[in-house]
Amino acid sequence: MRRYLFIVFFVVVLALPFALRSMLTSAARAPALGPDMPAARLVIVTPNNQDIRREFARAFDAWHRATYHQAVTIDYRTPGGTNDIRRLLETTYRNYLQPDGTFRADMPADLHMVWGGGDYTFDREYKRLFERNGRPVSVLQPAHLTPGLLEQAFPQPTLAGVKLYDDAKDASGHVLRPQWIGTCLSSFGIIYNPDLYRLIGLPTPHTWADLTDQKLAGKVALADPTHSGSVAVAYLMVLQRAMADAEEQYLASIATTRASSQPNAEAYRNDPAYGAAIAAGWKRGMGQLLLIAANARYFTDSASTVVRDVGDTGDAAVGVAIDFYARVEQESVGPSRARFVSPAAATAITPDPIAILAGVKGQPFEIANHFIEFVLSPQGQRLWILKAGTPGGPRDRALRRPPIRRDVYDDRTNWADDVDPFTDAGSFNQRPQWMGLFTEIRPLWAAAWIDSREALRDAYARILAVRDPQRRSALIARLADLPIEMSDVQQLAADRLVHEKRGDAEEWKARSRIDWANRFRAHYARVAAEAGE
Amino acid sequence: MTTTEPPFLTYASESPPAPARWRRRGDRERASGFHTLLAGLLYLFFGVFLIWPIVQVVWTGFVRPDGHPTFAYVALIFHDPVLLGGLFNATLIAVIVTAITLALSLPLAVLSVRYDFRGRGLLSGLLLVPLVLPPFVGAIGMRLVFSRFGPLTQLIGGGGALGIDWLGHLRLIGVIVVEVLHLYPIMLLNLQAALANIDPAMEQAAANLGAGRWTTFRRITLPLIRPGLFAGCTLVLIWSFTELGTPLMFDYTQVTPVQIFQQITDIAGNPLPYALVVVTLVSSTLLYLVGKVLLGRSFDASTTKASVAVVPRQLIGWRGLLAAAPFALVFVLAVLPHLSVILTSLSATGAWYKTLLPSAFTLSHYAEALRDDLALPSITRSIQYAVLATAMALVIGLAVAVVVVRSTLRGRWIIDALAMLPLAVPGLVLAFGYLAISIWLKQKLGDRTPTWLDVQQSPLVLLVIAYAARRLPYVVRSVAAGLQQTPRDLELAAANLGAHRFTVLRRITVPLILANLLAGALLAFAFAMLEVSDSLILAQKTAYYPITKAIWELSQRLGDGVYIASALGVWAMVLLSLTILSANALLGRKMGAIFRI
Repeated sequence: MRRYLFIVFFVVVLALPFALRSMLTSAARAPALGPDMPAARLVIVTPNNQDIRREFARAFDAWHRATYHQAVTIDYRTPGGTNDIRRLLETTYRNYLQPDGTFRADMPADLHMVWGGGDYTFDREYKRLFERNGRPVSVLQPAHLTPGLLEQAFPQPTLAGVKLYDDAKDASGHVLRPQWIGTCLSSFGIIYNPDLYRLIGLPTPHTWADLTDQKLAGKVALADPTHSGSVAVAYLMVLQRAMADAEEQYLASIATTRASSQPNAEAYRNDPAYGAAIAAGWKRGMGQLLLIAANARYFTDSASTVVRDVGDTGDAAVGVAIDFYARVEQESVGPSRARFVSPAAATAITPDPIAILAGVKGQPFEIANHFIEFVLSPQGQRLWILKAGTPGGPRDRALRRPPIRRDVYDDRTNWADDVDPFTDAGSFNQRPQWMGLFTEIRPLWAAAWIDSREALRDAYARILAVRDPQRRSALIARLADLPIEMSDVQQLAADRLVHEKRGDAEEWKARSRIDWANRFRAHYARVAAEAGE
Repeated sequence: MTTTEPPFLTYASESPPAPARWRRRGDRERASGFHTLLAGLLYLFFGVFLIWPIVQVVWTGFVRPDGHPTFAYVALIFHDPVLLGGLFNATLIAVIVTAITLALSLPLAVLSVRYDFRGRGLLSGLLLVPLVLPPFVGAIGMRLVFSRFGPLTQLIGGGGALGIDWLGHLRLIGVIVVEVLHLYPIMLLNLQAALANIDPAMEQAAANLGAGRWTTFRRITLPLIRPGLFAGCTLVLIWSFTELGTPLMFDYTQVTPVQIFQQITDIAGNPLPYALVVVTLVSSTLLYLVGKVLLGRSFDASTTKASVAVVPRQLIGWRGLLAAAPFALVFVLAVLPHLSVILTSLSATGAWYKTLLPSAFTLSHYAEALRDDLALPSITRSIQYAVLATAMALVIGLAVAVVVVRSTLRGRWIIDALAMLPLAVPGLVLAFGYLAISIWLKQKLGDRTPTWLDVQQSPLVLLVIAYAARRLPYVVRSVAAGLQQTPRDLELAAANLGAHRFTVLRRITVPLILANLLAGALLAFAFAMLEVSDSLILAQKTAYYPITKAIWELSQRLGDGVYIASALGVWAMVLLSLTILSANALLGRKMGAIFRI
């Protein structure tokens, strides 16, 4: 029977976790939530992490039982990052889209809500995921909230110019019901490893430009902008900061030349010189991003790897990260290995929205509205920021994200982080009018940084090997001068619409990314040849 | 089951003439009717669950959204330096991994078959342990081992103030190392089985004719073990060519399987990933054929089936120690990833930094894993999937083995080949195929799609089928080996006494091959518990995550995610080690026969 001995062990090991679990939970069983009620189901697609998913599912269930006398089970779908979700929605809804821009009535609306991924994704992508007869088709539908709730939660509808919820108006200027509503705030910045910075002999980073330092070659952790939408927003801020600089310079120049005349506040926007200045700023920003990318250790698919490579292992000295990722990391490894910096006047503070998906009706629609109500309630808002285990706070782990309701900031007892984005935002934030090309630019970044990585790395290494500092910086400037203009991106946006109509958008997208990667590759090879001479 | 024969020939054993009574009562017709029925059901199963997914993928890769056939998508792949690079890297990884596993396994196989020394049994058994840990779990630990200030850097003296960024430069090597340490047992088992079957007389004859040892090895032994070499190399080559988990864990994205995985959410609208899967399938077929041409050309070797068993030479004293040393060395290397996972699971959060070993230990990650919403339910799910998949694989495997070994049906080799197909078709391709079918059905049926066919609703059925199909070959091999060693007379005697075919199967055949069935079941179970490609691709809903996807999710979580993932990995390691040990105890030296093509 010895030959069956291992099978006995096998069964024991198989059963062990369940036995231990029941011992653990029976020792500390959570207080019962009252009598068993039939649970309603809410399906939410989200890139949010497990802690957020779990804490909100639990808190909402309890709140819903107390408020509406019904239990709710949240069924989360996590197909990946924001871009993966966008693709999922695109492919799910495309099959039911009718020529008149409505969805077929028999569409199975088995996804109820989408939550998280940044305001750009909601406002510019989900709200206009398709186009029919020249009109955008949204995969979101307006929420039906308790009257007054929005006004109560958002006395100011914007934060430094950025909308906190969808305040779109119809042709007659009447404010429509919101298709998305911000649930908390995100900001983007730099996570760095102070230990490694000391060893390299660099001062602590404060601006995006600090990441272009040549001493950081191979030590910058970056995420692939086509996979991590959140980090892509951070890259976009580098671009917008450069554009804002160009704008300031332009305004300063017209202020001196036309000091006497009082130009119309907005008239300069039509000035071709203004457009040229902005385009030049855009190009400078692209160059700056390229130099950060040239320092990249490698590009990961997930924003959390960036943070871990900096804090956990020190494999990277610095990275671009979302605020709360960095804070969670700092808490887990200590401030000697991970610290977060918000680049002064060069970060975006944006809402992280939630929305109800098109086609959802009946009970799921009702529950979805309740969920928004809960998330916007002071109770739901505090769940984002309270320490774990505190009254009203998360049970297991602090979520460490700044709430979006300003009034919640008045009482900061038991907060996990003493943050106040409403004060920090200052005057700079992302410019809605500069967000238009975000969809087009992400694959371009990937083409310039990732697809042509070998060539970029080779060119960069050769440049760094050049001894003459003057020649080296000239070569760096050459490298950063990418063969692309803002107008190219505008052209791409126009082309995309054409190909979407024609039905070969996927093929065209792939082809255009290959073409651009080839152009960038050729550029790097030219610079490498110059450096090698 | 021996390895010196090609798989199909082995089954062509002459079946003894049926007894007179059987014929007289028309039982022969009944018998062949039974086999025909089985064969029919098997064709149906393979057609729906093996051929259809592949056809579906291939089809979509060649058709435009408007229904017109096109080569544009496949052509696009060959215009894209990035995807071409991915193919090149995947091939590079596969070739290097195969070469290293071969170089590692061949001397070990020779030593273990030809010589006897103290601890040989134990060491040979221990060498199989790495097989049980999916390399991507090992990669979690190895990421820390290879980190800038990690144990490896500490071991070689710190590497200066800035440490050494191993993975920044050598991620490819990390992937290769982890895969080699995982896959060499497959090669070893095949080579051992092949060596054990060589007729010693052949080598003795060579020696008699004056050939030196090296010449004998090169001219006689190597050609004779070619089928074993072919089987081992093909398995390792295809496995490493399509391995998804390991490069994913190392963030090594410039390789085809990861490139396919990255486009997963795209697939309903985008034909490009399909095209990429088609190219992968063609490439693995090519790799298989190249292997076949190089190693599998002649199967004449089967005529040399040993008449005398190899008598291992006894090595004692320092010679014995010398022989044992390579085993011990490879074992130590091979358990490195396992060890690193165990250490990670025990390390306090963030405590493995700039030290050889974690600076603080804790058991809290295990407690956390027990409490975790993802971890324990995923174990339940995995057990559910694995049990169902095992049951399914057993039933089908038994049917295949009965038809192939016991029947005289024409074309039964086709069934055998179909059952072995999952070894040659990358798991990624099949998983993708199931996903494609599910999406296609949903497009056709809309709201009327049964929930169990909709991956986004419930991946249970498709996952179970995928697991079962993937691991069917092991069950078939195991069961077939048992059937071949069970004299058919016993079944015939029962039939003679009037027992129905199913009664014979239930009362005679199954009890006689119980050990083989159990061993096959255990292996199928073990691999189903740790299947990576299918799980990552098909399980899209949190509530349905199996262990592997939970480990993947957890490893992405900040804070203690990696540590909890490791704790889960350690549990899986223990469970699967016990599985392998159980199977080993049940099958003994016949283990090798299971991991063959």
